[in-house]
Amino acid sequence: MNRTVLIIGIIIVGAIVFILFAGLGKDPQHIDSPLVGRQAPPFALRAVGTGETIDLESLRGKPVIVNFWATWCGPCFEEHPTLVANARNLPNVQFVGIVFNDTDDKIMRFLAERGSAYPTLLDANGKTAIAYGVGGVPETFFINPAGKIVAKFEGPLSTETLQENLAKALR
Amino acid sequence: MIPTLGRFIILASVLVATTGAFIAYAAGAKRSPEGLRWSQRFAYLFAALMVAATAVMEYALITHDFSVQYVAHVGSIEVPMWVTIVSLWSSLEGSILFWGFILGIYIAVTTWINRNDHQEYMPFAIGTWLAVGAFFSFLIAGPANPFLTVASPPLDGPGPNPLLQNHLLMIIHPPMLYLGYVGMTIPFGFAVAALLRGRLGQSFLRPLRASLLLPWVFLTIAIMLGGWWAYEVLGWGGYWAWDPVENASLLPWLTATAALHSAIVLERRGVLKGWTVTLIQASFLLTILGTFMTRSGVFNSVHSFTQSAIGPTILIFLAAVLLFSVALLAFRIDSLEADGQLDSAVSREGMFLVNNLFFVVLTFTVLIGTCFPLIVEAVKGKQMSVGRPYFDTMVVPIGTALLFLLGVGPALPWGKASKKEAQRALLPPLITGAIVLIIGYALGVRNGWTLLTLMFGGYAAHVTLAQMWLPFRQRLKKGDSFGSALVDTQLRRGRRRFGGYIVHAGAVIVFVSIAVSSTMRSQQEVTLNRGQSTTFAGYTVTFMGTEERTEPHRQSTIARFNITKGGKAVTTMEPRMNQYAAMREPIGTPAVYSTLAGDYYVSIMNLQGDQAGVLIINMPMVGWIWFSVLMMGAGGLIALIPARRRTYVVVPESDVHIDTEVVA
Repeated sequence: MNRTVLIIGIIIVGAIVFILFAGLGKDPQHIDSPLVGRQAPPFALRAVGTGETIDLESLRGKPVIVNFWATWCGPCFEEHPTLVANARNLPNVQFVGIVFNDTDDKIMRFLAERGSAYPTLLDANGKTAIAYGVGGVPETFFINPAGKIVAKFEGPLSTETLQENLAKALR
Repeated sequence: MIPTLGRFIILASVLVATTGAFIAYAAGAKRSPEGLRWSQRFAYLFAALMVAATAVMEYALITHDFSVQYVAHVGSIEVPMWVTIVSLWSSLEGSILFWGFILGIYIAVTTWINRNDHQEYMPFAIGTWLAVGAFFSFLIAGPANPFLTVASPPLDGPGPNPLLQNHLLMIIHPPMLYLGYVGMTIPFGFAVAALLRGRLGQSFLRPLRASLLLPWVFLTIAIMLGGWWAYEVLGWGGYWAWDPVENASLLPWLTATAALHSAIVLERRGVLKGWTVTLIQASFLLTILGTFMTRSGVFNSVHSFTQSAIGPTILIFLAAVLLFSVALLAFRIDSLEADGQLDSAVSREGMFLVNNLFFVVLTFTVLIGTCFPLIVEAVKGKQMSVGRPYFDTMVVPIGTALLFLLGVGPALPWGKASKKEAQRALLPPLITGAIVLIIGYALGVRNGWTLLTLMFGGYAAHVTLAQMWLPFRQRLKKGDSFGSALVDTQLRRGRRRFGGYIVHAGAVIVFVSIAVSSTMRSQQEVTLNRGQSTTFAGYTVTFMGTEERTEPHRQSTIARFNITKGGKAVTTMEPRMNQYAAMREPIGTPAVYSTLAGDYYVSIMNLQGDQAGVLIINMPMVGWIWFSVLMMGAGGLIALIPARRRTYVVVPESDVHIDTEVVA
């Protein structure tokens, strides 16, 4: 038996298996947002339909759920009913949709077909999405009553994931 | 009906592969010819079942049988027929089935080719292949079962991942990669057999080498096709990003290339037996690691399949094969006795050794860079990524050193070279190297590494051509006619040698074109209004406007640009932005105008009304990469073509000295 081969081999094998094993079960797409735990970047955007400007500052005192989406995004269709239903059930939580890379008429048509329960704002030049570091849609930020971001969720929300993240904002 | 049939076939294949593996190992241990025949039958049966299961799945896909879960996941009535056929490998479960299919064919063909030869080794080899086959059919039967049923079948499915639908290369790249990856199982089986037998004779080197060279050819081409696809489809203007999965395909290629070289030294000098076997085992293990990387959800990459539960299963398999290989090596490596010895470091075999060392260092460099984010996260709990700077800093010097060896190695004679001989071999190519260096400098190359690459490239090209020319010249001297000398030295007798040098010539061009295209590229980002022009790298680009196109699976905005040079129209380029229904962000497809000198690459960054943000890249020589890699593949295939059957003279192996030129 060749001891050297055995020892070197076992060390390499052990290291590789340990590292890979530690990596299991994580979502590689997930990137920790540096915004979590910080004050939410301010925005004041025009609402689609009503035309009024909504300022994040004015929503202090309530938990806010900011959902970035677009009409051209498949997963956004998927989560839309969840958001609408939860917005209706949770009158004390302010839901805000922010749409980017999109046009008023397409958004209006989307909301008319699929229902709406909260203001939808148009991020015309994408500046707000950039400020929030949005990498793709849908992405949802949970902001506590003090205006601090407590959680970020990537991809379509389900009622469970929504409730779970919202709980952090209520703490 | 279809799901039941599929599941039945897969369960049968688990049974057949497991039983076959036991029978084969028992036959090996007892040296039973009858047992070997039975293990051959099991190998054929396993292959037949894999082919049948794949046929059933293809049938379900083509007939849009949405009661089969896999078809419901990736099928769609709306996609074209070719997409339907290739969606077999577009998602996790199907790709594992496809893996099994290719494995089955490899096993059956190799078993058949060697049905009457190498009886000493074959049982252990077949046993090892079937054991691997048993694992993959277990995966198909359990954790990655594509034949599950859908209780209430949908009327239509979503179709496969849209990125896989937008280029024809997607038909060729994955099968090539699988042929390369799966094929590494075969030399692994042979290596295990040699270790279990405790000997590795000259005659067994032939199947060992061939079984390694074939997947090497496929892997070489697959890696290039992947780069080409990224370049043509993803609009960032590059072909290699050191993405974990790109690295995963490169790792076994590096060790396999090293093994092909050490096998030559083994053949000529009878040394490096244990080392060659270790490299072959590593190549197989790295393919399994690559499979784990793409399918476990541990690494973030464009290649990742959706997250799945098969990660742990593959990891357990990987760990088991790793332990088995290490144990086998530790217990058996000393039984593979060297038949000869190395005389001198300044010789061809000496250079082979250095080459192997560099290949292994390169493998570890890439492996560590790929796994480093995982290490940091496991140890410190922090997220990080290792990108270009690390890989470029580490890989460029090692690559340049390999190019240097590619020139120096073949120039040196086997055995021991006297000082005079060495000088006569090594000095003349310096002139060609210097000429290429000067030409490059005159054309504007200033990057030190690129200049070095040009010089070593010229040197290696000189040596390679001289080596190809050598046997031919000898024949001409003997008085043969030009034609017969050419055919005989290059294609008939010296085919293997000739193929090898074709690979080397291709590799030289790859090195040079990678260095030139990456350091001599220039790019510009501009925003153009409709009708506006910009001039960059000699061409004038005019934005003519956009056009919307709606297809079932995507919406595209096509921007049109007129390209002129010196007032004369050159071409029209149409890069596009594609928005796929199922994706979170739009994907740009660039337009590329290729000439022999280089590529002019136009990609849209953003489109707003009549305004287009455009990325224009001028990349010299980039197209040469694709063709020179094809040349490497062709060289490999030339070297693979077997020589005409020879009459064997039975001599005890240790006494034989075989002229390698003939064995080829």
